[in-house]
Amino acid sequence: MEQRLGSTWRMTVNEKKFIETALLSDLRTDGRGPFDYRNLTIQFGSEDGSSEVQLGQTRVMGFVTSQLVQPYRDRPNEGSLAIFTEFSPMADPSFEVGRPGEFAVELGRIVDRGLRESRAVDTESLCVVAGKWVWSIRIDLHILDNGGNLVDAANIAALAALLTFRRPECTLGGEDGQEVTIHPPDVREPLPLIVHHLPIAVTFAFIGNESTVVIDPSHFEEAVMGGKLTATLNTNGDVCAIQKAGGEGVMQSVIMQCLRIASVKAADITDKIKKAVGLDGGVVEVAHERYESGLWTLILKNGGVWLLILLTNWSSKEAFCSFTLLHLLEKLRNKTFVLVGKAAWKGVNNLSKEMEKPKMKTEDRSINQDDMEIEIHSSKKDGSSLGDNKPKAFTGGPSSWDPYSKGVNVDELKASLASRAVVTPKEEMDTSPPLKPATDESLKDADPAPSSQETAGTTEHTNEAKTLKDAVKPKHKRKKKKNLHHLFETLLETRLSRCCNVNLLCSLELAIVACN
Amino acid sequence: MESKPSTTPSSFIDQQVFPGDVVLDLSKMANQTIKLGGGLRQDGDVISVMKAGKLRFSKPNKYWVESSNKRYVPSAGDNVLGIVVDAKADNFLVDIKGPTLAFLPVLAFEGGTRRNIPKFEMGTLLYVRVVKANTGMNPELSCMDASGKAAEYGPLKEGFMFESSTGLSRTLLSSPTCPVLETLGKKLAFEIAVGLNGRVWVNAASPSIVVLVANTIMKTESLSPVQQKIKVESLMQRMR
Repeated sequence: MEQRLGSTWRMTVNEKKFIETALLSDLRTDGRGPFDYRNLTIQFGSEDGSSEVQLGQTRVMGFVTSQLVQPYRDRPNEGSLAIFTEFSPMADPSFEVGRPGEFAVELGRIVDRGLRESRAVDTESLCVVAGKWVWSIRIDLHILDNGGNLVDAANIAALAALLTFRRPECTLGGEDGQEVTIHPPDVREPLPLIVHHLPIAVTFAFIGNESTVVIDPSHFEEAVMGGKLTATLNTNGDVCAIQKAGGEGVMQSVIMQCLRIASVKAADITDKIKKAVGLDGGVVEVAHERYESGLWTLILKNGGVWLLILLTNWSSKEAFCSFTLLHLLEKLRNKTFVLVGKAAWKGVNNLSKEMEKPKMKTEDRSINQDDMEIEIHSSKKDGSSLGDNKPKAFTGGPSSWDPYSKGVNVDELKASLASRAVVTPKEEMDTSPPLKPATDESLKDADPAPSSQETAGTTEHTNEAKTLKDAVKPKHKRKKKKNLHHLFETLLETRLSRCCNVNLLCSLELAIVACN
Repeated sequence: MESKPSTTPSSFIDQQVFPGDVVLDLSKMANQTIKLGGGLRQDGDVISVMKAGKLRFSKPNKYWVESSNKRYVPSAGDNVLGIVVDAKADNFLVDIKGPTLAFLPVLAFEGGTRRNIPKFEMGTLLYVRVVKANTGMNPELSCMDASGKAAEYGPLKEGFMFESSTGLSRTLLSSPTCPVLETLGKKLAFEIAVGLNGRVWVNAASPSIVVLVANTIMKTESLSPVQQKIKVESLMQRMR
């Protein structure tokens, strides 16, 4: 008994008084203001649907998995969503292994209510065979470190995991259309979940007399607080859920004020989540550098995908060869990366690009002068496996890249193109034969707009499948691609004009390397 | 860090050492008595390290390994910050971040008699001295120094307490004064009590100064002295 007592964390009366006095002058123990959130970082694991959120000292991991099950009797064409929490003893000395305590159940309930009651995840799209087979989505939340305000962090982890989760595609077959075949991810591209909106939980703590409200309480503040209120809202202005379980009574005006503040914070956090997942189409520049040989490197980041762009002018081809690898490796020491594409720019404003598939070590220099489109997709956008860490092995010798045999099906492409509004006239697919032999890297030719992101290591099969699928479901992705592409182009143009003294009519070689 | 065994002990002093490192070769040093402290062990003719940390030497012949932990191992003579957990008939139960609670006899105060036993409520912060600390037994504390005077021991009022590692406490208590405290002290007026068990208490006239001092100390723990100075200067600039 005494042993246990020795390891718990204790509060002193000094702290309680200090926190209350400091709050009178709007100061919190870690230097924040009363309505400031701590630093939020969202990271993703190597699998789809795994996220790790760090909110100050608090760390929570979320995992999403899916399974085909029988639906509930009263809802035969809806899938289901279930949340499980795991409070690891390493997070806090008061957490114990085994049955979840009261707080664990409450946390699970708050996150669950926010997602289920507000119908944030579209459950009807999870139905495969009405009345027989539906997808059941399971969210596991693991608490790794308790630094206060677990509810908010867990909620964000659940949302981030849901947004990056991809469920396998399944088709109906058999004689009566009742047999379900689940396709593995390398055969058919897995699909994202349909999430209508993001309900964000914002927690308030009432400390001292009821007029002192702080947001995102830390461990200290949680131990001193008199009451707690969690409001779940989304950016559309809907209040999805409110939870106030016991504690001090508060006036109605205080609650309304809290809701107002919560809606501002919710917008903030939604932005951060979207940026981390990569949904906002924003490309973040991380660094750019110029080398003596005339080589420019530019590192961009979109969500979890890093992009290293090497620009050089014609004359320094040799330098390009030798510098490429050295600097690449130096810059991206910790990341596995894959050289996926190369293009030549002719002038800046005339964005005619040529596609050449390079090899890692030996690069063939004769560039085709034809207009060629390159479609390169973000791994996130297309729903291929996010953060796939396995770099495709580059073979030293030339591998045959035959546009007609390996997955670029011109007819399909044309069909998919026709089904979409093409952005600019120059975007025609033209697979011209005299392309250099290349590795089978992720050149997706399905999208009409040359977009910026590249998948790391996706196969030709998925290319093909994606083409079909994209033709069928263009809506979801079109907007995003356009945004991304547009942004990337503008970004690159500004960079080019700024960095390279470009009145350029000279061609620039662009090597695009994706890494994650 | 050097992995070659060295004959001269001076090459390892004040260096990071890891378990298994051989720091002294006794066959090369004849007719010397060496005192080994914690973390070192004699393996035949060599002295090897058992605990990761910094090797320390004090004249004339004491060697020991100092490491920084979040847990505290009570040892006699340490000044620590304890929190009162319970009050019994004969002593107070005080938590000093050790493996067990410690006992503070109710009479261990200057001029303490059965008539004027101090009343400490649960959660009172005390600055106490460890009198006895044997493994397996609850440590014994006292609010008097060895000669029986109060000498700053006793309850600490107001202020803010935070917990950190034992290494930070030792740095804060080192002489000459550690750069963080020096730089902070030049501009700000505050009171600080450091317990060797990793607890630090800060008090000042206004809460903002307390928050600044506490956060500065916590953030600069792992920086080198020069970096510490720079960081403290920049943090103070921001507050002004």
